[in-house]
Amino acid sequence: MLWYKAWLETRTRFLISLVGIIVLCSLLIYHGDRDALPNTGPSYYYFVLRSGHSALCTMWILAVTLLTMGGLLREKAIGAASFTLALPAGRTRLMSVRICMGFLQAFALAVLPWAAMFAVAVSTGKARSIGQAGFHIALLAGGGMLFFGIALLVSSLVEGEYTAPVVSFGVTLAMSFLLGDPPLRAYSPFAFINGVEYWDRHSGLLVGAVPWAHIAASIGVTCVLIAISVKAIQRREF
Amino acid sequence: MIDAPVIQTRALTKSYGRVEAVRSLDLVVAPGCITGFLGRNGAGKSTTIKMLLGMIRPTSGDGAVLGRRITDPRENVELRRHVAYVSEDKRLYAYMTVEQMLRFTASFYPDWRHDIAENLLREYELPRERKVRALSKGMRTKLALLLAFARRPDLLILDEPGDGLDPFGIEQLLQSLVAICAEGTAVFFSSHQIAEVERISDRVAILERGRLILDLSLDDMRESYRQIDVVFPGLPAERDFQIAGIRRIRAAGHQWSVFASGNADAIVDRARDFHASSIQVTPVGLREIFLEMAREN
Amino acid sequence: MLFRLNPAAGQPLYLQLMDQIRHAAETGLLQDGDQLPGIRTLAEELVVSPNTVVKAYTELENQGLLELRQGSGAFLTLDRRARHRTDCVQHAHRRIRDVIGQLREDGLLDEEIRRAFEAELLYPAESLRKR
Repeated sequence: MLWYKAWLETRTRFLISLVGIIVLCSLLIYHGDRDALPNTGPSYYYFVLRSGHSALCTMWILAVTLLTMGGLLREKAIGAASFTLALPAGRTRLMSVRICMGFLQAFALAVLPWAAMFAVAVSTGKARSIGQAGFHIALLAGGGMLFFGIALLVSSLVEGEYTAPVVSFGVTLAMSFLLGDPPLRAYSPFAFINGVEYWDRHSGLLVGAVPWAHIAASIGVTCVLIAISVKAIQRREF
Repeated sequence: MIDAPVIQTRALTKSYGRVEAVRSLDLVVAPGCITGFLGRNGAGKSTTIKMLLGMIRPTSGDGAVLGRRITDPRENVELRRHVAYVSEDKRLYAYMTVEQMLRFTASFYPDWRHDIAENLLREYELPRERKVRALSKGMRTKLALLLAFARRPDLLILDEPGDGLDPFGIEQLLQSLVAICAEGTAVFFSSHQIAEVERISDRVAILERGRLILDLSLDDMRESYRQIDVVFPGLPAERDFQIAGIRRIRAAGHQWSVFASGNADAIVDRARDFHASSIQVTPVGLREIFLEMAREN
Repeated sequence: MLFRLNPAAGQPLYLQLMDQIRHAAETGLLQDGDQLPGIRTLAEELVVSPNTVVKAYTELENQGLLELRQGSGAFLTLDRRARHRTDCVQHAHRRIRDVIGQLREDGLLDEEIRRAFEAELLYPAESLRKR
């Protein structure tokens, strides 16, 4: 019943984030129509979708960081760790469930709002390319997992009830500053999930093939972060 | 009836840098008994318990709970299936309701008894639908106890179980411990409520600065430990008065207070030999023994 | 069944319980064939370890006062000697009751009566000599 516990623990945060993001993104797309320049045709609409995507990316990073708050170290600060650790369940199993739940929620937070935005766009007759939607989602879900990895690692190293997400935000902010300018910008995950490199300014579309290699690399790094997190918890003394 | 000890440690040690929280501990806890675990704050009781349950890794030494090695992660998970632990913080999961906590915990223990859980819910008057965060400290303690009792463990470990309970609650707790022991569960509990430990324990183990300084059956204690207050008109030298059994002599002028762990009759005879004008023999309670042993070390 | 055990009395609890059960049998509170409370029940009532009750019952069984029947519980068994003894003790209680009643009528205070009994019990040689 560890899944049940993981769900009960995060469902409020998850549902509020999900609904909030869906509503905000949908409104953005809906109202974006009014700002569209006349005579530029349906492809211009992708500029609107792009700003929706940017907003989604930012909110996604915040939401996932907040959702990943939890785990044994947080329970230790609250006083519930003794109960969890006395259960006949190994630490690896405890972590695995938390990681999978977090991953599924992060994925849902990428796909469902995009589906909503796309639905709004299609319903107003402005866009139709599922390929574009897919490209954006792949970038966010694939490239964004790095932030999930960072949040998870921080929550496995930092004690305290609310300290971990604060530190995660700090790390994320620091990263965005350090990797904001051209020479290092190529390595910026923020730029990656926004599709900066693949975005055609004239058509508003993401061009080229989905960069699966880069996504794989990002997921690879995430896996390393996850492995370190699990190791950290295994070695921890409570 | 299993005869193997439920807890057995061998030179169990835990050091933090140069500080030894637990020093070469050889603890043996018998099955089917209620064993009290006493010690001052910081004596190493919680550290010992956490090592037994795999929350802390020993620096050296080993131990077994219910025959399974505590230092092997897989065996430790296995042993936890038959052990219930009620820790000092009884915070549990704030976001779950009482009902959810029951369902969640029950899923881990094949021997869970729903009837016992229901009875205790009623007896403790715990509201099923209330979230744990909305429970008072006393109710949270009772819930933690309920979750431990209903899983019918072979060993029940408690750390300050009476914390947060009023005297009536403590009485209920002691009766529950007695009942669960009668059903075959070994009880190992650490508490500062020495009077309660004295009432229901079969044996008591005292830890001081990480070392086991006393491991005693309470029957033996009641039979052997005595305080002998003597008044000597003519003051003998302390060294002439030493006999087996005397732990400490507190001399205040002509009034001596002898703390003995046995052999009281011989000590009384010796006092008569030295022409004591008044000899009073009184039994010694667990509190005095605990304070005395702590002072000695 | 009202037993009271005192953890501070300097006597192991199981011995206290044995004494009290024996006393109950001697004064007729427990009759031959009566069932004693179950181990768990008595332990919970007295709030003592069940091992205390087990030890007491087992020892009393060894001494022939109790019979532990598998599955049913502990029953008091007074063999002929023990039953005779119980009868004697009860008879003695009655006689003592009469004597005390008479002494009180004669005007003696309870404290004086008690001291007289103690003196007779403690220094029998002297009382014999005086006679």
